Amino acid sequence: MMMTEVSLDELGPVDYVVVEFPVGASSFTGAIAAELRALVDSGTIRVIDVLILTKDADGTVEATELSDGGDLGELQAIEAELGELLAADDVERLAAAMEPGSTAGVLIWENLWAAPFASAVRRSGGQLIADGRIPVQAIIASIEADQAPATVGD
Amino acid sequence: MPLRPSRVGRVGVIRAPVAKTAVVAAAVTPGRGAPVAKTAVVAAAVTPRVGRRRI
Repeated sequence: MMMTEVSLDELGPVDYVVVEFPVGASSFTGAIAAELRALVDSGTIRVIDVLILTKDADGTVEATELSDGGDLGELQAIEAELGELLAADDVERLAAAMEPGSTAGVLIWENLWAAPFASAVRRSGGQLIADGRIPVQAIIASIEADQAPATVGD
Repeated sequence: MPLRPSRVGRVGVIRAPVAKTAVVAAAVTPGRGAPVAKTAVVAAAVTPRVGRRRI
């Protein structure tokens, strides 16, 4: 399904991640592709776009289409459905978070699991005014802050 | 390899340069006190329980 075939009223929240793989720290076993494929096959998400970014030591950024990355394996079916949402202008903005000499994968996806709920909220007159993600570290910090006063003076 | 022509000349969807998320980098760094060692604590924190304080 292409982006243009999706009714905006039925579109689920769209998220992105930029996952960096520092030089010498990557270990590709196919696990990432398999898990991504499982999320797609289960109808949890729909992958909208994927790009591979490389940033040279001098900061030069190059973007590669998923289809140009060789044997896609598990990602073959996903690649065929990509909406190519990202524009060339997005590449530099996304790569701003990358360290020189690193490679990163950019993944944009629609949260299909949330689409019916979001659609119901919109039909009910609700408007999204804030959203975000709570890092596990923030939860840990909150717990530790709660526990700290109880241990003082013990 | 160049990007597909369909990506060139379009308005982007990422509106500003993306900042590195330091907390995520910390999360995947093994070591003493790493979040992966605190999974049970976090799981307990997000598990509903009677009388959980919200404010």
